[in-house]
Amino acid sequence: MHKVIHSESIKAALASRGWSQEQLAAAIGESPQVVSHWLQGKHFPRPEKLLKLATTLALGFDQLVLPDANQPIIAFRKKAGANTTDKHLAKARAMAELLKPLVDYLPERRALHTSLSSASTHYVQLQNAVAQVRVKLGVGAQAVLGYELLIREFKDNDAVLVPVLWGEKQNHKNALHILLPDQRVTFVYLNLDTHLEDFKFWMAHELAHVYTPELAGSNEGEDFADAFAGALLFPQACAEVVYAQATQARGKQAVLNTLLTHAGTHAISLYTVFRQVKNFAHAKGLEPLQLSDAEIHAVRNSQRHGLVSEALFKPMPPHAEGLIAITANLFFSDFFVALKTMLVERGTGPGYVQQILDMGLQDATALHHALVGGPVH
Amino acid sequence: MTLVLLDTNAYLRLAKRVRPLLGKKFGQKDYVLTVLRDVEDEVQRSPRLRHDYPWFEAVNLANERLAHSLRLSAPERATLDAAASVLHGLVQMDPARFMTQRRSPPSYTDCRVLAFGQIRPAIVVTDDLGMHELASMVGIEGLWHGPELLKKMLGAKLIDNDLVREIYAALEVNNDLTATWVAAKHSTFVKVFGKTPD
Repeated sequence: MHKVIHSESIKAALASRGWSQEQLAAAIGESPQVVSHWLQGKHFPRPEKLLKLATTLALGFDQLVLPDANQPIIAFRKKAGANTTDKHLAKARAMAELLKPLVDYLPERRALHTSLSSASTHYVQLQNAVAQVRVKLGVGAQAVLGYELLIREFKDNDAVLVPVLWGEKQNHKNALHILLPDQRVTFVYLNLDTHLEDFKFWMAHELAHVYTPELAGSNEGEDFADAFAGALLFPQACAEVVYAQATQARGKQAVLNTLLTHAGTHAISLYTVFRQVKNFAHAKGLEPLQLSDAEIHAVRNSQRHGLVSEALFKPMPPHAEGLIAITANLFFSDFFVALKTMLVERGTGPGYVQQILDMGLQDATALHHALVGGPVH
Repeated sequence: MTLVLLDTNAYLRLAKRVRPLLGKKFGQKDYVLTVLRDVEDEVQRSPRLRHDYPWFEAVNLANERLAHSLRLSAPERATLDAAASVLHGLVQMDPARFMTQRRSPPSYTDCRVLAFGQIRPAIVVTDDLGMHELASMVGIEGLWHGPELLKKMLGAKLIDNDLVREIYAALEVNNDLTATWVAAKHSTFVKVFGKTPD
């Protein structure tokens, strides 16, 4: 990897101190000519000199070194009310860099990936896009879109699913998407500590990122992924049926019951059904349902289903072997197979597992032990 | 006085049994053990660590950490952050370098511990082999493995042979005996445990 010094940032730091390049060279024990070559991008400092630059100028790595052209692309599926900070991004970027050596151990990448030519949230264009995706998946316009089809689609597009147990509330994100552009691989982390009725939506949201890699990590990409997920799971043909039934129903409770029935059938949230029916009515110029977002949220919050992790692993917490088995057998993911091969071949320690899965060292040690056997350390 | 900074794992391996641990001078070079506030944060953040080390919250230990944790000035914090950021950046530039021989790439928290030596003269104690590799990469000297510290404490009569045996027994029970501790048992501590059994 060819790295280049961030000369503008360093020159600005020198200017703010009133220092010359010669003074900087003297401060870090280097010749002025060498420092000049660094700033011209001809050479890159040795590790100990880069560290000396950092402590002398109080500049961090991002201020000292120019970013790579093809940096990993990060997208979070945040929890409601959570804010993504620079710290979250830095942590995810570090995970991305550590995943690169693992890519060599994944199956060979496919030559063709599915991508959407338009990432519009306009109702008609969005419905056309999801209709084509449903045809590709082999599922009818009104049929329930099952998990297995979504999972297969990730695999067909070289998106590696990584089920994780990040807790229901402790972590700021429910899913994390890391695209490595140079390697043409996407890692999709799915938090299993999420409610059953939300999980399919998040998978569909992540699939939208896989279909539109150029938008991942942007606000536009997040808006599209949300719109795509809702429309894919409950498209116009479904919304039309529900709208017809709901407008025949008498009273708010009867309308709610109609929505709840369809949400249960499709294993999605009440809010997703409501939102799609609302979008349908708006696009067709029809009267909206006499229910507000707040009323829907109140019902949804009072009728929460269990967590995916509980459904899969009860009693909680699962053994490391359980997570490994589910990842391979239910999510058809090569993640742990590749990880095991790499850990054994290279002799990598549990701290690596801890960092790429963003988990505690004790859990990572147990997982490492389950993968490679032998002594814990 | 020579500051000796323990990383979280080094602290957790010793703090329950070596009492008092922090702030007490020992040895010819007047070593004084200390920790960063990061230890507190790391344990509080991890339900598993809190569960496995319930004694961490004990009043006497919490008070000892409070009294002897390092307090950094604003410029020191800025320098520490910058150095840690560069150390972590170097790891990310070539993570594969830290992924052999049971090593792992140092995390950002690890890098902060290692960076401490850049702002104050100090020895860092860690059993993390990746951190030792990173220190060697950037020319940071003064890095001990846990058993080296234990040996110094034994030499200074801060602890005795029985306590060394007790610490080893606890690490074995907790499945927490790292490769360096295993290697040191019948070499560094040959007078305590004897030679390697045939």
